Amino acid sequence: MTSLELRNISKGFKSGKVLEDISLSVKAGEIVVVFGPSGTGKTVLLRMIAGVHYPDTGSIAIDGEDVTDASPEARGVGMAFQNFALFPHFSTFENIASPLEARETPPAKLKEQVGAIARMLKIDHVLGHAPRELSNGQKQRTALARALVAQPKVLLLDDPLRNVDAKLRYEMRLELPRLLRTFNAAVIYVTQDYKEAMALGDHIAVLRNGRIEQWAAPGDVYREPISVDVARLFGDPTINLLPCKLEINGTGSVTLLGRRAPVSGAYAYAAGRDLIAGLRPEHVVVTETAAPDAIPFDLDAVMPVNVRSVLYLRGPKGEELLATVGETEAAKFGRGHRKVWVRFAPSDLLLFDAASGQRIAPQVH
Amino acid sequence: MAQLVLDSVSKTYRPRGKEPVQAVKRVSLDVKDGEIVALLGSSGCGKTSMLRMIAGFEDVTEGAIRIGGKEIHTLPPAQRDVAMAFEGYSLYPPLKVRENIGFALLRERGASADIEKRVKHIAELLEITDILDRYPTVISAGQQQRTSLARALIRRAPVSLLDEPMSQLEPQLRAILRARLKDYLIEHKMTTVFVTHDQTEAIALADRIAVMEKGELQQFGTPAEIKQSPSNLFVASFIGEPPMNIFDAAIAPEGNATSISGLGPSGQPAFRLKAPAAEAINGKRVRLGIRPHLIEIGANGSADATGKVITNHWLGDQSHICFEIGGCSVVGVTDKPIGARAGDELPVRFPLRAVHLFDAESGRALAHGLGQR
Repeated sequence: MTSLELRNISKGFKSGKVLEDISLSVKAGEIVVVFGPSGTGKTVLLRMIAGVHYPDTGSIAIDGEDVTDASPEARGVGMAFQNFALFPHFSTFENIASPLEARETPPAKLKEQVGAIARMLKIDHVLGHAPRELSNGQKQRTALARALVAQPKVLLLDDPLRNVDAKLRYEMRLELPRLLRTFNAAVIYVTQDYKEAMALGDHIAVLRNGRIEQWAAPGDVYREPISVDVARLFGDPTINLLPCKLEINGTGSVTLLGRRAPVSGAYAYAAGRDLIAGLRPEHVVVTETAAPDAIPFDLDAVMPVNVRSVLYLRGPKGEELLATVGETEAAKFGRGHRKVWVRFAPSDLLLFDAASGQRIAPQVH
Repeated sequence: MAQLVLDSVSKTYRPRGKEPVQAVKRVSLDVKDGEIVALLGSSGCGKTSMLRMIAGFEDVTEGAIRIGGKEIHTLPPAQRDVAMAFEGYSLYPPLKVRENIGFALLRERGASADIEKRVKHIAELLEITDILDRYPTVISAGQQQRTSLARALIRRAPVSLLDEPMSQLEPQLRAILRARLKDYLIEHKMTTVFVTHDQTEAIALADRIAVMEKGELQQFGTPAEIKQSPSNLFVASFIGEPPMNIFDAAIAPEGNATSISGLGPSGQPAFRLKAPAAEAINGKRVRLGIRPHLIEIGANGSADATGKVITNHWLGDQSHICFEIGGCSVVGVTDKPIGARAGDELPVRFPLRAVHLFDAESGRALAHGLGQR
């Protein structure tokens, strides 16, 4: 059942339009990630759902009931922020209890509910501490507990892992889905970290320039990005982008890095257009010796990451390419500054229109 | 370029009316000519104090610093033959970005055509060509950082010191700028020391990494050495993403072999590994570590344990799977997607060659890899 529904929301301030025609729905127990670079209106969107801002046009419904003009307290929305926003003079217990206090929950029940959520988030041993005595991780858990304690129908998380260290961020990334599932709330999760978005989201709304540019399941955003800009936001290292032209002679082909690569005839409708080919670093094959269809490149730097390495390659005309290869494979190349050969499978290319940046998908008739 | 030596260097701050703080404790480093070295650690570990002592912004309390065999730690900064890109080491406000970058070359009386060419090249490398004619006050913090970096790199000084050189970059530019920076440093054989708190940056750029904690040098080695043979638990868990899995473990002789039991939260055995006999570690209280990428998931044949899947995240080019084995939560990473949902059970194997053992009390490494299985 749909718990949260946004329809055609637009919002502007004196400085201009911030959000335009945003529609999305979140079911109970589902996590929708709103992902995008800073300044795209993510926080404004959350504030409208919470009732801090009101939309210029469009509607917001929670559990089928229109709350577009309702006051924040009437909505049943819980919220946690990246800067934690704890009350500094309250203990952890009082911070967590504050939404229950506001609803005049009986003391015995309040104590029980705070205790339960604190145990679940492993902060029951610091309930008497003031925020300044907590680590960043504990502050962030306290903020989460406060957002969850009143069992909200809708939970808004505004980049909650931004200010905790890398190790803790990773642990929470694993722990959060299980925790959130037990509450069965409709969750909107805002982040700028694409790995977090892919790990946590059942769906991802990619927000750019105030619009939802793509709405898709995590794997699909990566595999079939709708535009060059979305393709660049997902993936580390960033996708390689190379200009090319699509020609059709019976079947199709693109000329890329001085090599002709066959592509499906289903692209025929885009023949003659200037395109940009996107090639993910993990799809670039690098060898020490020549092979059919391989292109000579200079390997100029080797950068290890975990059990893989990123290779920095420069082509015959100075074209730059990043490739991701296995650690053992990379060991052969030493510190770089040598000749290598590069190949790729044409089927791995993502093609985009150079003018609009939109993806050209194969069209089968 | 030149060799840089830190010889048992210490730094003690003596704030008035407070206890002295020893920020750096007898650290010795030998940076070879043309080598790229990272000083890696979390905030307060002493890495920035070290860089500032090399630059001459801080006095050395004890020990010596030599560049090209010459003691420099008592010289004023300008006489040390070092180029610096420091946070807060400000740009000259009345000069354009272009002039800021070329300033040092101008002072060295370089030919202006040559300076112009080098400024253009370094600006292209760091993607700041479009702001060359702006003033420092009107560009973003990230652009200021890159301008400062350009101003240091263009000099190709005997030693270059870079403080968190890439911390403000947008993620889409990070990999390519790291790549170009590393290429430039290698091409010009520049002896470079840079400070970072980001282990991925240290591993990507450095020939060798000095891992610091509480003012002490924990380990100095190549990225491969540090990943494969961390000297202690701190280094092991600081390096790697996701972090190394670490469990309590009990060791007992079993016939002419050794049995290693990974222990769950209440001390009960969660899984058991059989290794070749190892007298030295028998009976010791240890911690067992294994990197997520080296765990074999869904392995056919001899599994060491059955993992119950908690989460399974496909990130486009790798899967991160968290599973539970006897109360221990374990993270594994694979290159291929694995079709398992929460609650499914998967066979899991801990290859002995990937198992690290650490002393439970001191954290010191006892073994890296147990046999070749």
